Amino acid sequence: MIAHANKPKTFFVKILRQDAPGKPSYWEKFELDYEPELNVISVLQKIAAKATTAGGQKTTPVCWDCGCLEEVCGACTMVINNKVRQSCSALVDKLLEDGREIELKPMSKFPVVRDLYVDRSRMFNALKKVKAWIPVDGYYDLGPGPKQSRGDQEMAYPLSECMTCGCCVEACPQYSKIELTPNVGETPEEFEDRKVDTFNRNFVGAAAISQVALFNLNPTGKMNAGERLDALTEEGGIQVCGNAQNCVAVCPKKIPLTMSIGRIGRAVTFNTLRKWFDRPAKKH
Amino acid sequence: MRRQARRWKGSVVSSAPSFLERHEFLLRRLHSLAGLVPVGAYMMVHLAVNASVFGSPRIFQRLVFHIHSLGPVLPLVEWTFIFLPIIFHGAFGLFITTGVKPNIEAYPYNSNLRYTLQRATGVIAFLFIFWHVFHMHGWFHNHFWVTYVAHPLMGAEFSPYNAGSSAALAMQASFLVPVLYTIGILAVVFHFSNGLFTLGITWGIWISPTAQERAKLLANVVFVIFAVAGMASIVGLYSMSQEKIAEVRAEEDEAYKVLVETGDIVPNPEKHSPLSEYAPGKHSDAEESDVEEGE
Ligand code: HEM
Ligand code: HEM
Ligand code: SF4
Ligand code: SF4
Ligand code: FES
Repeated sequence: MIAHANKPKTFFVKILRQDAPGKPSYWEKFELDYEPELNVISVLQKIAAKATTAGGQKTTPVCWDCGCLEEVCGACTMVINNKVRQSCSALVDKLLEDGREIELKPMSKFPVVRDLYVDRSRMFNALKKVKAWIPVDGYYDLGPGPKQSRGDQEMAYPLSECMTCGCCVEACPQYSKIELTPNVGETPEEFEDRKVDTFNRNFVGAAAISQVALFNLNPTGKMNAGERLDALTEEGGIQVCGNAQNCVAVCPKKIPLTMSIGRIGRAVTFNTLRKWFDRPAKKH
Repeated sequence: MRRQARRWKGSVVSSAPSFLERHEFLLRRLHSLAGLVPVGAYMMVHLAVNASVFGSPRIFQRLVFHIHSLGPVLPLVEWTFIFLPIIFHGAFGLFITTGVKPNIEAYPYNSNLRYTLQRATGVIAFLFIFWHVFHMHGWFHNHFWVTYVAHPLMGAEFSPYNAGSSAALAMQASFLVPVLYTIGILAVVFHFSNGLFTLGITWGIWISPTAQERAKLLANVVFVIFAVAGMASIVGLYSMSQEKIAEVRAEEDEAYKVLVETGDIVPNPEKHSPLSEYAPGKHSDAEESDVEEGE
């Protein structure tokens, strides 16, 4: 195939490694034989099997995370050649178009668990903070929900594709890394509490804002619209966004994040004013 | 509740939320609003008034007289509607800017460039406005301050009752002055026009990508209009010849004479240029002093 014409016999993969949380990071380089149609995950599998650096030294297998292998779970997100993206959909043939080396780094906004595997719990915490779900659980059948218009369905569908991968917050200049370690004498529960509290006091990020747009659009979800908007005006809420619009540029699912930010920005203003003047929440 | 529980357990790292943290949403919204009104609105009027000097120093003086017809109330108006809002917006803007890491090298997108420039121009605007208000206005009009602090440091050079002539001399004090003004004006105008664009997202005025593209166009038009207006006043002031300045000053003094008689303007010796016939310590004999001072 044309795409594989004049490809090198071998290529290099440079990986920013880290042995454990809080440990220093270091670079290691690996050399692999070129094969057509590799993706970065298969490259990582080969490196793990080989566990030998380009210099011929034995090393530990490189650790990474993945799940679906088809860009829907978000687990394999990392920084590839300085751009944040999913490694399962990063094709080596494409990456080698601009050189013989591929550079892999863990995302910089999350604590590293090991090597390329990061802890994205802050993102999931943000979903909890904004109540990114529809409360329909109960003891009896509530009957069919209200209908959603065709237009709203079309608006909601793209938003529902978010896989909480973290690309948007990795690229966001307003989102800074939080990495906590347990204090001496702190129980695991206390540590967890402190972590949740710290997460809640810092920027929720574009993905969670967009999920509020999604669930506030849903006819049943609307019933809790006010609570979600309230959560977004707490510390670390939507106001922290500085409109750099990097999030929308890097989102692999092309979710219209800045549109959600604009729409929710407007909704929180009205929601806050209504509360100030002690008016009931709008019944959509 | 959660916070209190946390404190009992003695596991606090971060202190209890400060005022800034508790009111983050409100403060950010006020910051955004202040950028538009009164600060942005002031900038638009200010640059438009200043641009008039390019066409006609007489119109410029008339507009300044209008503003200064407020007389003793003026400082109150200035502080309430101009200085304090700028200080709030500026100081809070600097606070927002610190602690944020721009990532323009890794993500070289147009919008990220705007974001980064918004912060950079904010810092330039802060320095520029701090110096500019000192240079022209002096910040305070206390006699001691003006005589012993502002004037020796090239401050308070603007004399409202000799608007065009004193502003021209202030602009010509050094070749650096127009250079710094050019940098300052371009920074402030970019900051304002791009701010207009982001403000529309912040408040949810333009939401869809199409609407945002149009808004960006609008912001660019605003940039061009006010950049041209700003440049016009710099060129107008910098290019005024010494003869022209003397001529303008004589006209200003004449207008002053009439307006004091009609009661539209309150006499205030400090508002005259030291070269004016009405300057403190000069007797008001027009012909005589004109011959002496005219260069
Ligand atoms: C004195 C120094 C100044 C500093 C340090 C400063 C700083 C900032 C910063 C950091 C932002 C971004 C806020 C955010 O994205 O959340 C901003 C926004 C803005 N600024 Fe300034 N600024 C200054 C002066 C001005 C002036 C003189 C004007 C008007 C002429 C102005 C108008 C605006 C506007 C309209 C916005 C947009 C608000 C929004 O996006 O919601 N600023 N400023
Ligand atoms: C073309 C460039 C500019 C010129 C020639 C100019 C000229 C002047 C003059 C003559 C004064 C003194 C007014 C007085 O004391 O009554 C003044 C004051 C002031 N200028 Fe500017 N200015 C320019 C640009 C700007 C810009 C871009 C800003 C930012 C918003 C700004 C903000 C201020 C402020 C805050 C004051 C003090 C308020 C006051 O005097 O009422 N200026 N300017
Ligand atoms: S919004 Fe896009 S970039 Fe952000 S987490 Fe969801 S899928 Fe990933
Ligand atoms: S638009 Fe807001 S959320 Fe998106 S990258 Fe910029 S600052 Fe972050
Ligand atoms: S493995 Fe699921 S997105 Fe890559």
